[in-house]
Amino acid sequence: MKEKRLGNPLQHTGVQNVLAALIAILIGMLVGFVILLITDSSMALKGLGAIMTGGVQDMKNVGQVLYYATPLIMTGLSVGFAKRTGLFNIGGPGQFMMGAFAAVYVGVKWTFLPGGIHCLVAILAACLMGALWGVVPGLLKAYCNINEVITCIMMNYIGMSTSNVLIRAYIFDRTKNQSLRPVDGANLPKLGFDKIFVADVGTPSSVNAGILVAILLAIVVWVILSKTKLGYELKACGFNKDAAKYAGISEKRNVVLAMVIAGALSGIGGGLNYLAGAGTGIAVGSELAQQGFDGIAVALLGMSNPIAIIFTGILMAYLTVGGLAMQSYGFVSQIISIITSVIVYFAAFILFFSQIIGKLGKRGGKNDANANADQTPPAPPVQTEKGGDAQ
Amino acid sequence: MSEYVIEMCNITKKFPGIIANDNITLQLKKGEIHALLGENGAGKSTLMSVLFGLYQPEEGVIKKNGQEVRIKDPNDANALGIGMVHQHFKLVHNFSVLQNIILGVETVRGGFLKMDAAREKVMALSEQYGLKVDPDALIEDITVGMQQRVEILKMLYRDNEILIFDEPTAVLTPQEIEELMKIMKGLAAEGKSILFITHKLNEIKEVADRCTVLRKGKYIGTVNVADVSKEEMSEMMVGRKVSLNVEKDEAKPKDVVFEVEGLTVVNKEHGKKVVNEVSFQVRRGEIVCIAGIDGNGQSELVQAITGLIKADHGTVKLKGEDISHSSIRHRNTHGLGHIPEDRHKHGLVLDYPLSYNLVLQSYFEPEFCQGGFLKYDKINQYAEKLIKDYDIRSGQGGKTIARSMSGGNQQKAIVAREIDRNPDLLIAVQPTRGLDVGAIEYIHRQIVAERDKGKGVLLISLELDEVMNLSDRILVIYEGEIVADLDPKEVTIQELGLYMAGSKRKGAQ
Amino acid sequence: MKNFNKITALLLSVGMIGSLAACGGGAAQTSTPPASGAPVSSGEPSGVTEDSAGNILAADGSFEIAMITDKGDINDKSFNQGTWEGIKNYCSENGKTCKYYKPAAATTDDYVTSMEQAIKDGAKVVVTPGFLFEEPVYLVQDQYPDVKFILIDGNPHNADSSDYKTADNTVGILFSEEQVGYLAGYAAVKDGYTKLGFMGGMAVPAVVRYGYGYVQGADAAAAELGETVEMNYYYTGDFAATPEAQTMAAGWYTSGTEVIFGCGGSVGNSVMAAAEASSGKVIGVDVDQSSESDTVISSAMKGLSSAVEQMLDHYYNDSFPGGQNLTLGAADNAVELPMATSKWNNFTQEDYDTLFSKLASGEITLKKDTDAEIPTDLGCANVTLNYIAE
Repeated sequence: MKEKRLGNPLQHTGVQNVLAALIAILIGMLVGFVILLITDSSMALKGLGAIMTGGVQDMKNVGQVLYYATPLIMTGLSVGFAKRTGLFNIGGPGQFMMGAFAAVYVGVKWTFLPGGIHCLVAILAACLMGALWGVVPGLLKAYCNINEVITCIMMNYIGMSTSNVLIRAYIFDRTKNQSLRPVDGANLPKLGFDKIFVADVGTPSSVNAGILVAILLAIVVWVILSKTKLGYELKACGFNKDAAKYAGISEKRNVVLAMVIAGALSGIGGGLNYLAGAGTGIAVGSELAQQGFDGIAVALLGMSNPIAIIFTGILMAYLTVGGLAMQSYGFVSQIISIITSVIVYFAAFILFFSQIIGKLGKRGGKNDANANADQTPPAPPVQTEKGGDAQ
Repeated sequence: MSEYVIEMCNITKKFPGIIANDNITLQLKKGEIHALLGENGAGKSTLMSVLFGLYQPEEGVIKKNGQEVRIKDPNDANALGIGMVHQHFKLVHNFSVLQNIILGVETVRGGFLKMDAAREKVMALSEQYGLKVDPDALIEDITVGMQQRVEILKMLYRDNEILIFDEPTAVLTPQEIEELMKIMKGLAAEGKSILFITHKLNEIKEVADRCTVLRKGKYIGTVNVADVSKEEMSEMMVGRKVSLNVEKDEAKPKDVVFEVEGLTVVNKEHGKKVVNEVSFQVRRGEIVCIAGIDGNGQSELVQAITGLIKADHGTVKLKGEDISHSSIRHRNTHGLGHIPEDRHKHGLVLDYPLSYNLVLQSYFEPEFCQGGFLKYDKINQYAEKLIKDYDIRSGQGGKTIARSMSGGNQQKAIVAREIDRNPDLLIAVQPTRGLDVGAIEYIHRQIVAERDKGKGVLLISLELDEVMNLSDRILVIYEGEIVADLDPKEVTIQELGLYMAGSKRKGAQ
Repeated sequence: MKNFNKITALLLSVGMIGSLAACGGGAAQTSTPPASGAPVSSGEPSGVTEDSAGNILAADGSFEIAMITDKGDINDKSFNQGTWEGIKNYCSENGKTCKYYKPAAATTDDYVTSMEQAIKDGAKVVVTPGFLFEEPVYLVQDQYPDVKFILIDGNPHNADSSDYKTADNTVGILFSEEQVGYLAGYAAVKDGYTKLGFMGGMAVPAVVRYGYGYVQGADAAAAELGETVEMNYYYTGDFAATPEAQTMAAGWYTSGTEVIFGCGGSVGNSVMAAAEASSGKVIGVDVDQSSESDTVISSAMKGLSSAVEQMLDHYYNDSFPGGQNLTLGAADNAVELPMATSKWNNFTQEDYDTLFSKLASGEITLKKDTDAEIPTDLGCANVTLNYIAE
């Protein structure tokens, strides 16, 4: 049986998932193309080209992709991490906003901190504030059995309003109706990226050390999930909390811990976004942070795998930049929202796609019933009989 | 006119990668009870689904009374007089018996149901076949045995001639099983033809006229039940000789290892005592079995002992230590082994690989974990060892996702994990549920071996054969109370059934 | 929730595309079949067409005027839309070409990115509506000396406002909102209203100027009439129509307020909704809002589109006022109350003209946003201000 396992790459779950994600993206692009055709057939091909190549048009755009990807990777990790532990963290927007506030507050006020440390402290503050916003739904879930989706949504609005109030009270720039900007020393270092990722003429991209932080954290999350005892316990709770309880794992503690970590990741995302030095404060308003929701799409498309989330985050950002480039051909940038939404929509079918791919891979290798968790009653698993033979 | 009312000739049904039915022939005579015997996955369900129109076979024909017929869907089957009592009843719980029976074949006049005619017909049928039911009782209020009668009446009401019973005894008490057997014989006597799917040889012996045996999707043979022994039938089914009785020596009980006193669990929803002042002891070197009909507090008792739920009062002592308020982890690491009732719910993390599952109770030990990181090489080595020692079959060894393993091997993995931790008390809850004969035999042997190593074993089982064969002492639980403390050598199955049904009690504290 | 948003976006977009297609089809009837879209101006040389997004482009897709949107979209019924309409109007009348860009987010870097994209695509004039563009224009103006920048509602400066610089290729435009606020306040009190309200959006300079002018106008009229008037004064802190704003406006009407100046984006819609329920009156803002609700008695208009058109006209006539920061007010006919659609009882066109000319001539000078921290500091003795802090 061994040689068979190696034989067919389509039987490998990782390959299946990547292919399935690609199919989702492809369908999204196709639908997008149809919309472009309907909108303006003469420009559709150019528009499509712009989406596809906008992100690599020049070095600045490459930098912009990485810049937009940074918060998306963080919120994606947040959602993905919670998902792996059996929780749906839809509280990203609130955690993101509160993290952003904490980071900007430190960035504006704590000017006594020296340059390098200032930005680290600001990120740490974002992390703690995000964690605080995550722990509330975690505690309510663990000890009062209140569905985390509901509490997370509530915490989103509480977070939005709280950050509005706090910004107004402490760091308000009333002429712009937004928060003050962090002082330069608090912004993330550019690490020379502003020399590399520059437009042909003129200005550099906004990319900064944040992208490295995001990638590093993705790797940390991956290590936690796949190498540590904590990860083992968290995933066990996520897959089967009854079995986890049976094995003596404290489910309550894990729920709280998972939400704390998820919240911290989103919070850091908010911090990184506003410490980028791109030239904005936190807007005071009544809109939830979009990045928090985009994280759901990123995590979904990345099958909640931290490493995959790096790439899906970059992909989403790539599409954003592509959407901007498309405007040069007279397409409204909302079309890119349609395309990403179609991709996300089909991402929901990823499992379905990967099963189909798995079946395609199985054709011809008929004794590989083990490779698939196919539990449909009509196909009695061959290995039952093998088990029966056991002596 | 053909001798056979239904003939399935040379049926072949393939699924991707597997031949579920390979050239199978089944002939059902009018008025006979025909057993279909086979292990899980032998192809019984597929064959019946073909007959019921759920699947189209690639090859082979179905004949009714010698005429070839095509059954494209269950409606065709129904039109041909084929009816089926499913293993899991398909009844509407807040409907009355009568409403359930006529559901789908209601006769209406001007938009109103004509219930009177239906009622008359149902009463006549229940009279004719001795199926006593109250037509106005709600399904949720009647016993499982009664519900099964409703299912049978549903078939009769539709004038079905060929009745398929899919593992009908799995959910019944011994008394109810006896009743059912009588009913089946009565139906056959009235000219109905019955297909009886089962893997219980006793029942075949009792009611069936002939028996068709399947193994791994293949047709093995059809025998006259009267002409063959149970051993012969099981050999046909499994493909080798199996011992149906557990071979074990006399128990040599030693000191008390486990003690429960006054344990009470109150259900939070309806406030009833689901475990009521239960007290008993288990000694080293004995298998104590708690027998009872499902839902009499066994699950809650075990969960209270293992710490999965909190007992309202009472004490649990293991090796003299009071563990009533200890954490689950503490209990697990201080001598308690637990083969849980539901291997999918509690026993395994199905989406974890086998190796992860084999260390589910020990991953945190220094042997497998250092500085918060798991030592995967050690875990894998250990998994390989258990896989070898306990002969757990899986496609890709330790990497196999538990979900893709067969039930028997999943259960073996749990047994291996729990036994290898070398517990002082092994609690095994329905350890052979849903398994085939081979796996049952294996697990029984392991349990006996544990006993012989001087461990205490607490067995909770619904299978009377298992209770009688395996235990050294039987405690009968009824409505949360221990109502009898019996010696298996001195009690018959019938008697045991009476205790289980609550109509007799003895020897309990 | 995200999915929901996306799906909504999808449905909206599909609908939008449908309607756009319909527009194109309708326009196409009047002309020879073009390659894409339809000619906009019949009087001009052919080849100028309007595309699906509403851009007016030359036959080869090129254009000269670019607009970058601020927060919000091109059809925000406010700043972006007003500016864009001015640009389009100018293009249709003069056969010029224009196109707009929507940045990815409201950061300086994103604005700069979009401006550079527009310039790369061939823009010769870049119009940027909103004070958030002060910094982006400051950054970009020197890098592209051949491109002209029209910054509306702001003057270019650097990040910490330590350096203000309007380059020779840039013009910064501010409006004297206080003057038209003054007109509105004065007219309302003259018209007999004694209980007034001001509900601003975000307390950004323009909104503050409207408000301060409104208070001063009411004060002046009350002084002339020898009475005192009451006024509730509040910034919602948001440019959106919110239930909170509507509830508050309704509360004001219930407790006797007769007319509310709804000043800031969609806040006015909340006020109108409250007014309709309580038969109150509303003064609109920025554009003539009389068509939006019968409760609107007048609107404090500022000539966004006309200012843009003027600047474009200057550009094409080689009289671009580069390097200047203009403040357009009554003297430039850049603010007004639309008397034709106003529903005044006592305040006449004559009254209006007199007052307007006084403002235009500088006879009346007003305090602006920079002159007082809060409206109660304006020193208006005849207005009893109930200032509700955010």
